[in-house]
Order: sequence, then C-alpha cells, then structure tokens
Amino acid sequence: MWFFDKYNDKKDGVIRGYDIRATKVKILALIIMLVCLLMVCVSLFPALWVFLASFKDIKEFTRNVTIFPEKYDWSRMLGTWNAFKFTKYYKNSLIAILGCSACAIIFNGLLAYGFAILKPKGHKIALGLVMWSLMIPGITSIVALFRNINLIGLNQSFIPIWFSFGANAFWVVLFKQYFEGIPKELLEAAKLDGCGVLQIFIKIMLPLSKPILVVVAIFSITAAWSDFLLPYLVLNGTDKTTVMVKLFSFKDTPTDAVSVLRAAFFAIIPPTVIFAIFQRQITDGAASGAVKG
Amino acid sequence: MKAANKPKEKFRKRDLISWLVMLPSLILFAFFVWEPLLENIRLSFYSTKMYETVAFTGLKNYNLVLHDVDFMAAFKNTFSYTLWSLVIGFFVPMIIGVLITETVHLKGFFRMAVYFPNIMPSLATIWIWSYFFLPGATGVLNIIAGKMGMGPYEWLNDPRWTIPLIIITLTWKSAGSTALIYMANIASISPDLYEAATIDGAGIMQRIRHITIPSIFGIAKTMLILQIISVFQILYEPMIFKNGGPNNASISLMMLMYRYGYRDYNVGKAASLSVLVCIILVILSGIYMRATREKEN
Repeated sequence: MWFFDKYNDKKDGVIRGYDIRATKVKILALIIMLVCLLMVCVSLFPALWVFLASFKDIKEFTRNVTIFPEKYDWSRMLGTWNAFKFTKYYKNSLIAILGCSACAIIFNGLLAYGFAILKPKGHKIALGLVMWSLMIPGITSIVALFRNINLIGLNQSFIPIWFSFGANAFWVVLFKQYFEGIPKELLEAAKLDGCGVLQIFIKIMLPLSKPILVVVAIFSITAAWSDFLLPYLVLNGTDKTTVMVKLFSFKDTPTDAVSVLRAAFFAIIPPTVIFAIFQRQITDGAASGAVKG
Repeated sequence: MKAANKPKEKFRKRDLISWLVMLPSLILFAFFVWEPLLENIRLSFYSTKMYETVAFTGLKNYNLVLHDVDFMAAFKNTFSYTLWSLVIGFFVPMIIGVLITETVHLKGFFRMAVYFPNIMPSLATIWIWSYFFLPGATGVLNIIAGKMGMGPYEWLNDPRWTIPLIIITLTWKSAGSTALIYMANIASISPDLYEAATIDGAGIMQRIRHITIPSIFGIAKTMLILQIISVFQILYEPMIFKNGGPNNASISLMMLMYRYGYRDYNVGKAASLSVLVCIILVILSGIYMRATREKEN
C-alpha cells in the first residue's frame, strides 16, 4: 500500500523501514498520522476561527451557538477597518517595523563583527556583558527604561522603539556564530588590498552573510510587528499608535466583542503572509534555536 | 626595536577603530539593557513621586513589597505557574517532536502547522483565547464541549483552572518552536544505533526509551531552564484574560510590577520588585550556564 511504502525510505526516527512490515507497526504509523493531523487542527483552529467569527455581527456572535457565520460579508470587516482607522495603524506599524528591522541588522551585526572578527583588546568583557543580558529579560527593567526615555525627552517618538531593536543579545550571538564561519583568508586578502574595517564589513561580510541577514530580517520584522509593551508606553495616545498598541488599549476601553475580534484578525494577517512566503527560512531558523525567547 | 614597535602601534590604532565600530551598538545596549538594570537597583532604595526620586529610604520599598498581600499572591502563583508549565509545557513539545519525526507523509506541512501559532502576535492570540474561554453557551470551547454533550464550563472564572488554562495557551503558542529544536536533535541521531538495538531485539518503545530520550536529554535540560525563566515573565496573559483575577488567582510577579509602576505610579516599589525578580533570574541563569557548559564538554 502506498501509504506504507514510503516508510522504506525513512531516514530518521525510531520506526525504521524494516519495521513497517509488521501489522502492529502499521497501526502505530496510522495512529501517529492521525494524532499529527489532530495537532494541525489544534494549531490552526484559533486563526481559522477568528477569520470566520469576524464575519458575524454582534447579534449573531452573542446569540448563535455556531462556528460558521451566516454569510460572508466583507463590508462588515471593511466597516470595522474604517471605523477604527486601521489604515493609519498599519502605516504606523510599517514605519516602526522598517526602523526596527534596520536597527536590528545594523547594530547587532556591527557588534557581532567586532566580537567575531575584529576582537579588539578587552572585547571579552563586553561579550560577557552581552551574554548576561541574554539571560535577564529587558521586561524586568521596563519601568526604569521608560523613566530614562522620559528624562531624555524621547517619549511619544518612534526613535526609542527603533533603537530598542539594536540591542538584542540573541541576534548578536546569531550573527557572531555565522561570522565566525566565514573563511579568514578572504578577510586577510581584503585587508592586504587596503580595505578599512568598515569597508570589509560592507563589501565582504554582508554579501557573504545573506542567509543570516534574511533570518534576522524576518524575525525582527515579525517581532517588531508583535512588540507592544514599550510601544504602548511610549506611543499610546499619540497619532503614532501602532496596530498592537491599539489592540492592547482595548483592554481598558470597553469595545464590542466583534470589533476586538476583527482587530485581532487584522493583526494576524501580515505575519501570516510573511510566514506563507518565508516558511522554509522561518522553520529552519527556529529549528536551529534562532528565536528562542 | 623600531621594526618591532611599529606593528604594535598599528595594532593599537586598529583596536581603537574596532571599538569605534562597536561603540554605537554598545551605547544602545547600555541605554536599553544595562543602565536600566542598575537604575532599577538605585530606584529601589528611593521613595519616588512620578518619575522623580524624593528621598533615600533604604530597604523600605522592599519591606512594603514583601508585606503586600498582592505580592504574596503573585509569589505563590509563580510556583503554581512553574509547576503547571513543567507538567504541561515541558513534555508536549517533546512528544510533538517525536511524533512528527515518525511521519513520512506531509512532514513539512506538520512542521509548518505546529510552528504557525508562534508567528502570530501574542496579543492577538490572547484576545482570541479569551473568547474561546467565554463561560456562556457562546464561548467557543463550550460550543465544542456542548457538541460532545458536556459543559458548559466556567473556564478562567474558576480560580482552580485559571493558571493551568493560561499555561495551556502559552504551550499552544510556543510548543511548535521547541518541537522543531527537538526534531533537529532527533534527526542527528545515527540510524546505526537504532539498527544495532533492533538486532539486540529492542522494540519501538524500548528504542524510544533507550536511544531517543537519552539523546535529547541534554537539550531538554536547557529547554527546561529557559522555560522556567520565561514563566517568571508572564505578564500579558493574566493581565488581559482576567486582570490577575479571579481574586488574584492568576496575578504574576511581572503583572504586579506593571501595576506598581503604571497604576500606582510608584516607581520605587516597582523597581524593588523587579530587583527581586532579577535576583531569582540571575540564579536560574547561573544554573542554565552550568547546564549548557556541561553539554558542550
């Protein structure tokens, strides 16, 4: 049977090609398949549900005990989109994301370049400090950080949001590991040709590091999209409100359930699109532990 | 002498340039990570008015925090969060990883699907889950339970279930990424081991117990500590689901810090609580560092 034939080429895992001849193992393989399909349902159902529920109006939502809406009326969605001015929030989120992603690549990349290649005297101390900040989540000192942002007058501006992405120990480590794998001969040759420290970074390191640049770009974009505590504290109540800040503020302002759900639906569209395009890079990056935390 | 001096001098100049290249990033680290940490320690010893320090008060803030009823509740809850995340959150990713490894059809799709919740913004998923847990007949989980002839249940409103349910939503969101890490580790196990075990007469369950589990034990230890560290930071879920309730049943340490800081505007108190949390995290991190070093050796 075709379903079991493919097990003959199985390369990893406990069940080997020769096991599948036994009926017991065949049943086990089928059960595993069913459990995996069930896991898929559990994983995808909430996103699917919010999509379906967004089509209901408030009466239907509070009264009908059903999963599927009565009709698929896009104008309701559009109504919520316009009523809450989501175009503006999307635009603000885009501004935040572009700055955050650029900062994540430039600053973490440069620091990793220092740690992996330049290695100036005393760099070990700085490296140690960065490694420790990997362990202490920034959220614990958010009160002091917000106080500082206020004191230097950067409140209600995108600047602290952007630059906060330039100090991410995790991405520094990721860049550093990759840079260490770049052949030293190339760098030595460039040095002999008279390239300066920054020139080597721009002309040699960056072109050779495309895979890791893509990974950090994708993960910083999705992280910036989902980021909301610092943006909430800094941007709430200004005209720079991002999608997540708006979604967070529903906590304190009574809003009808359907509008909140539609807003949540709007908030999951961009990451879903990015995931659909870059799923290979994202799952491979995650498998190597690139985004723990 | 001169010839020996020259490269050394050049080396120094290179050092300086290198530090200059790293300087902007280090300033960012100082501003966003290191300084706030130290500032927190300083603030924790002061009484404050809005964001201004008023007077040095020694350990008074700590005293206030430690005798706060809410703190006792949050502290107790942290143990509950940790315990439940060990029971639910630790084994689920491992099981997912093992199961997906054993499939040959749709493997890429399974990998993608279990990772999908990870990519969704946590804020959006929290809102979605809060409608899943609605206690009435229209709550999504009650609809599903009703179809199977059960319920309706109270879900988050039942204080015994608030924390376990929060942990379930967290596990739903993050298990996929941990499972992928386990899968990468399982895939690197040499097939020869399994084949040798088969020749020795080991069945499938025995092979899992004696080969797969020991091979991922090292990475599992690391994941366990990372998970405990992340449990200490739970903030948004209890805040949005039930605002720490019902009756403080789900309030977390970070949420209490947020309350001190942004509801009571008591920066000193918030700072002293976050110093306490940091001390716990540093200890846990020390254990983590030791565990990973053992793995490398």
